[in-house]
Amino acid sequence: MLLRNVFTKQIRDLRWPTFWVSLGMGGMTGYFALLFPTYAKIVDLNSILDKMGPAAKLMGASLGDASTLVGFLHIELFSMILPALMVVLAAGIASGFTAGEESRGTIDVLLSYPISRRRLILEKTAAVVIACVVSAAAVWVFALAGAAASSSALPWDKLAEALVMLVLLGLAFGSIALTISAAFGNRGAAIGVAVGTMVVMYLVDALAQIVDGLGMLRPLSLFRYYMGNDPLRNGMSVADAAVLAAVAVAFLFAALIAFDRRDLAA
Amino acid sequence: MTAAIETHKLTKWYGHHSRGILDVDLVVEAGQIFGFLGPNGAGKSTTIRLLLDLIRPTSGSARVLGLDIHRDRLAIDRRVSYIPGELSLYSDLTGRQLLTYLGNLQGSVDAAYREALIERLELDPSKKIKSLSRGNKQKVGLVSAFMIRPDLMMMDEPTAGLDPFIQLEFEHLCEEARGEGRTVFISSHQLPEVEHLCDRVGIIREGRLLAVESIATLKERALRKLEIDFGGKVEAAAFSGLPGVRDLTVRDGVLSCTVMGSLDALVKAAAKFEVLNLRSIETSLEEIFLAYYGAGDATDAPASPLAREESSHAAA
Repeated sequence: MLLRNVFTKQIRDLRWPTFWVSLGMGGMTGYFALLFPTYAKIVDLNSILDKMGPAAKLMGASLGDASTLVGFLHIELFSMILPALMVVLAAGIASGFTAGEESRGTIDVLLSYPISRRRLILEKTAAVVIACVVSAAAVWVFALAGAAASSSALPWDKLAEALVMLVLLGLAFGSIALTISAAFGNRGAAIGVAVGTMVVMYLVDALAQIVDGLGMLRPLSLFRYYMGNDPLRNGMSVADAAVLAAVAVAFLFAALIAFDRRDLAA
Repeated sequence: MTAAIETHKLTKWYGHHSRGILDVDLVVEAGQIFGFLGPNGAGKSTTIRLLLDLIRPTSGSARVLGLDIHRDRLAIDRRVSYIPGELSLYSDLTGRQLLTYLGNLQGSVDAAYREALIERLELDPSKKIKSLSRGNKQKVGLVSAFMIRPDLMMMDEPTAGLDPFIQLEFEHLCEEARGEGRTVFISSHQLPEVEHLCDRVGIIREGRLLAVESIATLKERALRKLEIDFGGKVEAAAFSGLPGVRDLTVRDGVLSCTVMGSLDALVKAAAKFEVLNLRSIETSLEEIFLAYYGAGDATDAPASPLAREESSHAAA
């Protein structure tokens, strides 16, 4: 029964958004994997990327070899579109945990039941982890199915590791949104700051690879940890994963403290 | 016996000209129906939300059921139910789903009692919350508040939007709860809504608790505006010096005055003349507050009748 506690209720509330995001992300990836051989025959992607020069790198083609499915997925999906969707999913959900309940006025009723404010956030956070994992799993299934159907090489383990990094990236930004929402009770600001930070970090990471002298900025960008090791090709770096996880946990911790201390909006 | 609610100099300061409460010392004995009265914006909801640890006091302290409102919040929440003034519920759930969820959060619910409540309040639990009228939503809130059989119920304006029949049923439920030794704490801005239900009332205005009185005392002091149409000529002098009567004027055979407490003396005096009509206008709670408890701040409130009476006594 999905009305047992805050965690299951949150799962219940997320079931449709998660379904659609999973279908979108998975379907898109599967579609690319399925059509890749046909596409590669018609278009010489590497020559296009060469002509674009540095501009291509801004679009995530930093490690570009578009003549394989792995390289193609890396450039087309894993460097920009999938992380953007994952971050929007996680930040969109997490920003609503407390600020959403506050703006709808349901927080008063909810917290008059024997649930601590910390438990409220932790149970909801557990639900968003599941939503992110489910959508990543959908990408995994659809991508492998598409690759199998088009007889393209796509190592399932490397794909899984790249998706772990994707989930961690989403959770890190989701956690940032959660903290702002928990501290200020403003959902719009929480989403705005999380997504804005993502865009800035993306550009920092991309520019740092093109422009000489900006290299030292790369460690400031979470995208450096997400993509730095090119997980789709090389598998994940545990150290990079640990950085993303640490950011997520640190902001979660900040959210717990901030929410516990604050007056809730009437 | 532990008081159900006990506050000590409880203060929530939001800055000047803003809703807050100041140095509220309130004791609500267990097993009572207590009315917390005051005009809108007086600080009723602020007080209740402080007691529930939804907001934190600037200074002062409070205990609910003998427990510290912050440190022992979960223990309090196991024994207290609450209906906020602006009741918002998960609109995508049906009434029954919501009650199931809230019951699960509480831990234990007497299902038979819940069903009885649904029946008595004539709630259709199969409808989604978003399709319910304000009154029907309020019924869901009432069922949720009563079904856990709490030791203390805190209800912020619980009767808003209820039709008279359901309101009566609500009053029965409160009286039953009191019969079982539970405490009911109801806020309202309308004295008539709660005066026949409550044992005691606390009156709050501009964030200050002005008084806590038994209903009986308050009724003795009830203030009425009275107008009497006479058939013949009447002199004001015939009514002078009657106890509790003041602001008396007679014009064109119409007497108007304000009466505190019993109407007996005035009615008997009027009976000597031909009375065509008698209109009694119950004064608003606000006026009673002003009359009996004066203004919290002498600069912004009109002089109360009581103040005038006191000054005339002083002059005499």
